[in-house]
Amino acid sequence: MEFKDFSRSINHTKLDKFADYLASGKIMGTTCKKCGSRYYPPRADCKKCFSDGMDWVELKGRGKLITFTSINVPPDYFDVGFKNLTPPFSKARYTACPIGILRLDNGLSIMGWIPGIALKEISVGLELVAVPVTLPDGTVTIKLCD
Amino acid sequence: MRRVAIVGIGNGKFGIRKDASLRELAFEPVKECLDDAGISLGDVDSMVTGIASDEFSLAFQPSAQIHDYLGFNPKPNFRVEGACASGSMAVRTGWLTVASGIADVVLVVAAEKMNEVNTGVATEILGRAGDSTWEYPFGTSFPGYYAMIASAHMDRHGTTEEQLAMVAVKNHHYGMMNPLAHIQKEVSLEMVLNSFVVAHPLKLYDCCLISDGAAAIILASEEKAKEISKKPVWITGLGCGTDTLGLNERRDLTTLEGTVFAANQAYKMAGVTPDDIDVACVHDCFTIGEICAYEDLGFCKKGEGGKMIEEKQTYLDGKIPVNVDGGLKSKGHPIGATGVSMSVEIVKQLREEAGKRQVKGAETGLSHNIAGSGQAVAVHIYQRD
Repeated sequence: MEFKDFSRSINHTKLDKFADYLASGKIMGTTCKKCGSRYYPPRADCKKCFSDGMDWVELKGRGKLITFTSINVPPDYFDVGFKNLTPPFSKARYTACPIGILRLDNGLSIMGWIPGIALKEISVGLELVAVPVTLPDGTVTIKLCD
Repeated sequence: MRRVAIVGIGNGKFGIRKDASLRELAFEPVKECLDDAGISLGDVDSMVTGIASDEFSLAFQPSAQIHDYLGFNPKPNFRVEGACASGSMAVRTGWLTVASGIADVVLVVAAEKMNEVNTGVATEILGRAGDSTWEYPFGTSFPGYYAMIASAHMDRHGTTEEQLAMVAVKNHHYGMMNPLAHIQKEVSLEMVLNSFVVAHPLKLYDCCLISDGAAAIILASEEKAKEISKKPVWITGLGCGTDTLGLNERRDLTTLEGTVFAANQAYKMAGVTPDDIDVACVHDCFTIGEICAYEDLGFCKKGEGGKMIEEKQTYLDGKIPVNVDGGLKSKGHPIGATGVSMSVEIVKQLREEAGKRQVKGAETGLSHNIAGSGQAVAVHIYQRD
């Protein structure tokens, strides 16, 4: 798996195993071998003690939503509804999927799609769980579920 | 450090400028600010250019287009980039150039031509102002970042969609008084609340515009300023702060720590407090941005920004008039140009040349300019003699 299968943009990072982990069903952060600082998103280098030695750690994805939105005017890349449809389907509308940030019990926060809950049912404080998902095209991402 | 004054100002028409290229847009306020100062380009020692994006400019090294078009070569010019705060970072750089003694007279010009690309591409470019590795994969847009700040602010402080809309109503009202504004149209609370949802809870009228435009100022040392100008406006405080790239690592999603840091630096340097500010231009790229700015700049307590607009304390006759030039909301937000345009407006106010939107007797002004969703912030304090 390429990192771009998650990032959709950036090709290279020292953390490219992150995408492989997602494909295997794990959301991974990193922990500094020297000072124990924990990071999500994962980092290859510690910003607390400047060590470059990090261990991968699996995150238990349960937490509370600290914020959310639903974007109706998406960046060009995500505007697939308009771009890939040909007449007579050209009037099909892009369907927005809510996104949010989940704060885990350990204080780290994970961004993810919230595909299974109607926008009007979503509120700050909602308890959700972050889970990896492999999409039909083989790319990987994260969703926040009940 | 030497004292530094603004001795010339220029601001081109903001809007969808299909009549002009980037370099032609930049020419307009440069000509105006030289005329305003009563000097020629030959009197300028050095130049700083603020432009946010190569991708909007469709060019690498867009600043070279501008100094070439002005005929400024071989004198110094380079570009300063601070995303949507590029203009204020260019002013800061120009200030440093004069204060340090490297130059006596500096031209700061800032421009952006955003409508070279369509809305989808503009949304894509601006969305990458957040964490392009860890947020972008979730389809984040610029309104999306501020929408997440708004959702958190509404939850934490009880701010309402109506209060957000009131910021738009005010700024559109004052935009009507600014002939340079992109949109000159009054909007009602109902219009804002019923407009298309761009990123929940932000609606079309909660969002700034995708604008083209340019602004320029002339900065001078004290000796030169007294020679050139009868009404110099001194930049007496400068602050700069930063915040995390991704929203997920913020301690408090409702506070832009870069603003708090920059404001404290600027107030301390100028020896003033928020109560001393007579007029302010703050970064209202989205209505929630203006509410956060009231709080983070110390105009009110944390969480009371919504109440502040509801009580009309930031109208012309309120406690502290904010964005009476229409703000980014109505004047427009050609991202790189915005910071310099804020400086231009504050100088007009302190010279008492702001016409119908004049804050009577304004002596101390403030500008507040944000890169992205708070990743970098510049606050300047201005005072007249």
